[in-house]
Amino acid sequence: MNRRMPIAVASVSFGALIFAAWLAPEHLGQITPELALKGPLEVGPFGTDTRGRSLVDYATQGAAVVALPALSAGILVGLFGVLGGLLRCLGSERVNAAIQWFSEIVGALPRMVVILVVALLLPREHRSLFPLAWTWALLAAPGAMDEAASVAERLGGSRFVEALRAHGYSARRIFLVHVVGYNLRPVVVRQGAETMMHVVFLEIALSYLALAENQPSFTHADSLKSWADLLKLGYPSLIPSLDYNSGHALWLALGLLGLVAVMSIAIGRAARAR
Amino acid sequence: MRLFAACLLPFIVPAVITGFIWSLPGDPASLICPPSVCGGTEALAERWNLNGGPVQFFTGWMANAMTLEFGNSWRLHQGLPVLELLTEAIPTTVSLIGLAALMVMAGALLATKGWLPRALDPLLRFMGLIPALVLALAGAAFIELTYGFDSFSDAGKIARLFVGAGVLGIADGAFTGAVLGTRTTFETEAQQRYVGIAILRGERLIENTLPNVAPALIGQMRARIIHLLSGAVIVEVILRIDGIGDLLWGGTLRQDFGVVLAAATLFATVSAVLLVVQAVLETLVALHVRRAPSGVRLERQA
Amino acid sequence: MALKHAIRAMTGLAVAVVGTGATLAYFEESIPMSLNPLYAKTMADHRAQELIFDRLWYNDAITFELKSRVVQKYQLAEAGRAVEITLKSGIRWHNGQALTSKDLCFTVDAMLDDGTPSPVAAHYREFIVGCDTKGPQTGLIRFNRVLPKPRERLSFPILPASEFDSTAISPDLQFSARPVGTGPFNGKRGLRMVTMDAFANTHHTPKIVQMQLQEGGDPLVQTKTLINNNVQGIVVVPPPQRPDLRASDDVSMKSYDLRSWWYVSVNTNRGALKDKRVRQALNMVLNRNELRQFSIGVKPNDKETPCEFISGPFIPASPYYNGEVAVQENSNLVKAEALLKQAGLEKLGGRWHMGGEPITLRVGMLANLDHEAPDLLSQVANQLGAAGFDRLTSKISADEWDNSVMAGSSDFDLVIGKWSFGLVEEVNELFHSKGRQNMFRYASAEVDQILGEYEDAVTDTEQRDAYHKLHKHLSTELPYLFLWKLDTRSAWRTEVNGAIISAYYYFTEIDNWSIEG
Repeated sequence: MNRRMPIAVASVSFGALIFAAWLAPEHLGQITPELALKGPLEVGPFGTDTRGRSLVDYATQGAAVVALPALSAGILVGLFGVLGGLLRCLGSERVNAAIQWFSEIVGALPRMVVILVVALLLPREHRSLFPLAWTWALLAAPGAMDEAASVAERLGGSRFVEALRAHGYSARRIFLVHVVGYNLRPVVVRQGAETMMHVVFLEIALSYLALAENQPSFTHADSLKSWADLLKLGYPSLIPSLDYNSGHALWLALGLLGLVAVMSIAIGRAARAR
Repeated sequence: MRLFAACLLPFIVPAVITGFIWSLPGDPASLICPPSVCGGTEALAERWNLNGGPVQFFTGWMANAMTLEFGNSWRLHQGLPVLELLTEAIPTTVSLIGLAALMVMAGALLATKGWLPRALDPLLRFMGLIPALVLALAGAAFIELTYGFDSFSDAGKIARLFVGAGVLGIADGAFTGAVLGTRTTFETEAQQRYVGIAILRGERLIENTLPNVAPALIGQMRARIIHLLSGAVIVEVILRIDGIGDLLWGGTLRQDFGVVLAAATLFATVSAVLLVVQAVLETLVALHVRRAPSGVRLERQA
Repeated sequence: MALKHAIRAMTGLAVAVVGTGATLAYFEESIPMSLNPLYAKTMADHRAQELIFDRLWYNDAITFELKSRVVQKYQLAEAGRAVEITLKSGIRWHNGQALTSKDLCFTVDAMLDDGTPSPVAAHYREFIVGCDTKGPQTGLIRFNRVLPKPRERLSFPILPASEFDSTAISPDLQFSARPVGTGPFNGKRGLRMVTMDAFANTHHTPKIVQMQLQEGGDPLVQTKTLINNNVQGIVVVPPPQRPDLRASDDVSMKSYDLRSWWYVSVNTNRGALKDKRVRQALNMVLNRNELRQFSIGVKPNDKETPCEFISGPFIPASPYYNGEVAVQENSNLVKAEALLKQAGLEKLGGRWHMGGEPITLRVGMLANLDHEAPDLLSQVANQLGAAGFDRLTSKISADEWDNSVMAGSSDFDLVIGKWSFGLVEEVNELFHSKGRQNMFRYASAEVDQILGEYEDAVTDTEQRDAYHKLHKHLSTELPYLFLWKLDTRSAWRTEVNGAIISAYYYFTEIDNWSIEG
């Protein structure tokens, strides 16, 4: 199967995200009321907000908020998936039971409460998306472990390992190459990519809720803007009776989210089994 | 094991949540009035059973909860009985999740029957990418403009519920995942050799594959419903639907422990119920699979 | 007399039932957290409680004269250390019981009870020591010292003794959601709405049958809903929405005097800010015209602006405002730099340093003020940055504000906020070294002395002189960088008649309000 296209798409989109994050200014630009809510054709490339500030700052600062935390959460979930698959290969009933208990308890926790508590516990100056992304990854881990474990079980679990042992392969080669590399890879990479996307969506939801509840931001320093600010600016354009010309902000936000989604899908496709 | 876990979840989850919310900075009694500003905070902490640590608080709360004594809300809806809040929230959230789950199950059914052409896949994928936040915001604005001040009347509440269910069902890949996930599950199973043999025998595809994929589908559906429960928090808060998710969010922000624990226990109970349902359905499927198929005689070994 | 009251009550009831038959629906800043006056925290709480309870004394909305709807007569007693109050007879609580002196003394006892953790009561504990009933309608409230104008300080709402088991009143009692008062409306708090039904009494004759308040969501949606006549009013209209509402013929904008002024409070106990010259330099750094223009939308040459600069802790219209103290409207970076150098700071690489260490200012702002003054925090931070200071900005939640900033335990260097006063503009608690609202524990012997002069003053002139002195002193000491007074605006549909808005409490004159059609 041709994986070049997905790899290219994944690389370009991830590269764009990291580049945008790198470009992010520390503070927003100067307020120029005369340029308020101008579209991209009047003030390129993305138009302006209600204060006449360029939406490029919003896009880049938002990327800076989400890029690395989302990536780290994706990697974490992938690692949990690998762990789940490997543990199933051990064929231990006790281990399987312990994992199932862990899955059930974590699965029954109201996720947003846990995330909110973690957000409120963070000291003000250390507010960032990282701890929340890792918490989300931990909460998503049971699902990833479960799926990886069922893939491992389909291989034959411990019998598969024994069979490869009989061929003379070392334990390291069996687990790293055959189990993880050939069989678990598609699942854990897809899970990791989906988690990356979910973390981005989580961030915009939390940022919006903080704005709505008159709270300091849960996910980033208050001097930064997130993609949620773009959505908040842009969504009134969906209601014609409000007569609010902020559609360019909405499209920019949806475009950025689309970029993340495309990246996630491309990463999953790129890691598919042949 | 599943049944055992289901019985323990409504106790373990609130205990874990108690540990979490206890670690929040400050304490609910001091939030009413800092001790440096006014007296009476210690008496309040004693009244709310906050003066003896999280274990004492949790065991006291659990003991009262057994008799449905949840007290009054401390801060979120100050003075209103928590039981009254739950009584209003439970049917709301159940309706919200139920409607959204119906949408998701409808998607799964359409995929099972093959009634959704593949040409629609790109559209479905696009729909699934729309975050719940965007749809919920637009939905909230639409309702408030349409109903005005009556947006919290009975008609307004029903409108919010339907919009919320639509948002939950479509956004974040819920409907799309159900369609594509179910189709993929059936397609993967259809590649098994026994399926080919069954088709050659003139049997129907779905009769053979469904019992075997049922456990996976049941697990997927349970995971989707739990995902809907998570998403319900955001949708309820933005659409201002008075459900369990809204109580959880607001209660945690305002450290209203009684409300948070009661709502979290409900969440865990729903999860436990789903676990039991999953276990029962899987058992029924297993029993069905074990029964010999009709019209086939098994050769007895000599 | 009793017959007169009865006839008035019957007429009032008839008017209330028959009169307009209309419901007045409006959007508030937030749904009240509590309808128990002891636990009023936000202005939305105060405004809703004004509809449900009667305060012992209130100020007339137009003449500002002190009046009472529940007090028949009063006289000073015990050489000015007590006041004997005779309540009017015939006034009913919403539960049908009669208002008596027992309720008055119950309210005082509840405020004094250590088991009532009320921030509102904490204020009254400073000077009230007890209450005794002298008859069915007469009570004696005792103070810990002679108070020159006791009525001005006795503006607390009266609570019904019959609704409580003890004087230790906890915030989570059902009374907080289902209160019982003697006010013109009987209120009930729901999850999203507070509904208040008219209750005619001998002293209230409301013309509106029912009032409903909801938390307003998105300001754009609120504005459109009002213009579309799906709601009758918005209590607080944020500045960005005012032009649209002004342009509508069906809506009239009304001034709501919150007696509020905005400030940047300075932590005088931290680092370089201990030096008064550094504070003066920061005052020079701020370009108030620019801040006002970009946050509130008021340009320097605009006439009759809702936003007037101030140079001290009073609004310009107040008799306590010292007009001789000039306002620093624009920045003066040259002078600021000179002051900073005098204070021993060094500018290295464009950044100010003290003792070789770069100065980073932690700047915070109460989060919900962002609706009234968008981007004010980032603008102040930008101006500080342009002047050579590194800064870290944060919004502050209401809980952190109450429990950390106001309790004097926050680690901010500068905090942007807004004070709102009733008609009694006492600022002692803000600046006295032991003041309960002295957020950064600013301590100055001279200021304490001036505030003591105010406390000891027996005439209006003496009080005014003391506060004029305070204003002048604070303009050089600068524990606060004073910004502006910002008028709040409400929007009501033109069908709402007689809408007199009282300063601070808003609905004091609700009996006069009516709805056409």
